[in-house]
Amino acid sequence: MRTYAMVIDTRTCIGCGDCVVACKSENKVPVGLNRDWVVEATSGRYPNLRTEFRSERCNHCSHATCVLLCPTGASHQWNDSNIVLVDADKCTGCKACIAACPYDARLVMHPEGYIDKCTFCHHRVEKGLDPACVSTCPTHCMHFGLLDDPGSDVSKLLLSRNYKTLMPETGNKPNVFYLV
Amino acid sequence: MTLLYLFRDAFREMLTGSWRYWAWVAVLLLMIALGVWFYAQQVIQGLVVTHMSNQVSWGFYIANFTYLVGIAAAAVMVTIPAYIFHRKDIKDVVLMGETMAIAAVFMAIMFVVVDVGRPDRLWHLIPGIGIFNFPESMLAWDVVVLNGYLLLNMGISFYIISCHYGGCDPKLRHYFPFVIVGIFLAIGIHTVTAFLYSANTGRPFWSNPLLAPRFIASAFCSGPALMILGLQLIRSISNYPVPQSVIKLLAIVMTVSLQITLFLIGVELFTEFYNEGEHAASARYLYLGLNGFDALTPWIWTALLLIGIATFIGSVHVLRNNVFLLNVACVLTVVGVWIEKGMGMVIPAYVPTPIGEIYEYTPSFPEIAVSLGIWGMGLLLFTLLVKAALPIECGNLRRPGVDAPSPICPVSPEKR
Repeated sequence: MRTYAMVIDTRTCIGCGDCVVACKSENKVPVGLNRDWVVEATSGRYPNLRTEFRSERCNHCSHATCVLLCPTGASHQWNDSNIVLVDADKCTGCKACIAACPYDARLVMHPEGYIDKCTFCHHRVEKGLDPACVSTCPTHCMHFGLLDDPGSDVSKLLLSRNYKTLMPETGNKPNVFYLV
Repeated sequence: MTLLYLFRDAFREMLTGSWRYWAWVAVLLLMIALGVWFYAQQVIQGLVVTHMSNQVSWGFYIANFTYLVGIAAAAVMVTIPAYIFHRKDIKDVVLMGETMAIAAVFMAIMFVVVDVGRPDRLWHLIPGIGIFNFPESMLAWDVVVLNGYLLLNMGISFYIISCHYGGCDPKLRHYFPFVIVGIFLAIGIHTVTAFLYSANTGRPFWSNPLLAPRFIASAFCSGPALMILGLQLIRSISNYPVPQSVIKLLAIVMTVSLQITLFLIGVELFTEFYNEGEHAASARYLYLGLNGFDALTPWIWTALLLIGIATFIGSVHVLRNNVFLLNVACVLTVVGVWIEKGMGMVIPAYVPTPIGEIYEYTPSFPEIAVSLGIWGMGLLLFTLLVKAALPIECGNLRRPGVDAPSPICPVSPEKR
């Protein structure tokens, strides 16, 4: 299985929200729904405050519980990779995947009647391009690539920097990494 | 030929009754009509007519579903004493327990159907035709066990009824294996339903090994409570002899299960709050309110109070043997457990969401109307089945040509 990963540098992210806009226009996401979003996490006590920007989306987990729990196989992993997609024609809208997702990355009530989500822009990945959010990022804080390839950007960054994943305790093996 | 006669006589029996029977059926039909109307709106407009959202994606429907799976599973509280412990008195009411299970499973399945956003794609869940993600998906397991349990109960009841109708004795060795499978399936449907929730590691409120035992324990409170009420109702309107010993046994089952349920709730409260961690946020929202949001707090404390009073009544010998107080305890149990394992179990897992949003949920009017409609359907199914089965079980109704035995019901059935 090929593992695509996204590595996001929280130290260079300025929280501009360009990734959100790029995703909406690239994937024609309906009004009111977003496949990605920017979290502004504040920690500490005044006056010693710290803000972390995190561009969040589906973590395309290696152990994707949403795929596991889908009763019809509508949620599936694309082309022997970790990229989680939803086959709209098979989705009954039972919402088991929403309950299963630890990242709130699934959108219910797409007007077309299926559960929509981030696709890691697999239609661009197929052509050798980066996902829309990654290629639009003005500070180059987002990186995309194959985790299996030791020479890829993402592999090198994860070897040289400290990083974290979100909710690793769920056992989902997420593939969006945050450099801290 | 016997079957044709049986269907003819059963339908004839369902279509004759006193004005009270017809008034009851009319009320149920009205509920169903209301539900169907609002469900039509939901199909046309989509799930937006509900108050479910990205944040809280399972609501009132799934709460009722969980409760009803418990009611269905509780039928084993009559099949086990009847077939394993050979209690003769219980055998007379075993059909009534199975009929309740049939109606409850039917309602549970209906609640899942209305919860689904695209019912036109449900055929993907039919093994063989669609892609049925079995055995990976817990939802697929639930489809298998719920339908299996429904068919099994229908089969056993139908076999017994048609035997009685045809004037022969049902042979225990013919259906005993199915009874045993049914007992395991009853525990199975509720365990699988609990796993449906506890499989979600991202929602600590559910991801809890105590969930399945708690489900079973509270099912054995509300199921026998409903049975006690139903059996007394049938006894008073049809004169079908329901021995008081049956009521007493069910009252003890209910009481013990209530005690266990309260203990398990206490265990959970201790674990959540003694060293309160981040994972206790949902429990805090439910019991105490979180950041000023506390829509469910009055409900859960009401439920605990009701369950507590019912446990007290059940645990004091004098009070439990008082028919009126026992019925009060049953009503309190039915309502209390409905709150506690319905909305009180489903909603808090979504509040706060895994990324920390707080979005409160209250059911919309269409959701309540559709739910009422499904309860109407279940009650109607139960009423019709009991209406047709009672004269056969009383011994008043037999296949033409078969001598009716001396009826065991003193007066000819005058039912609701």
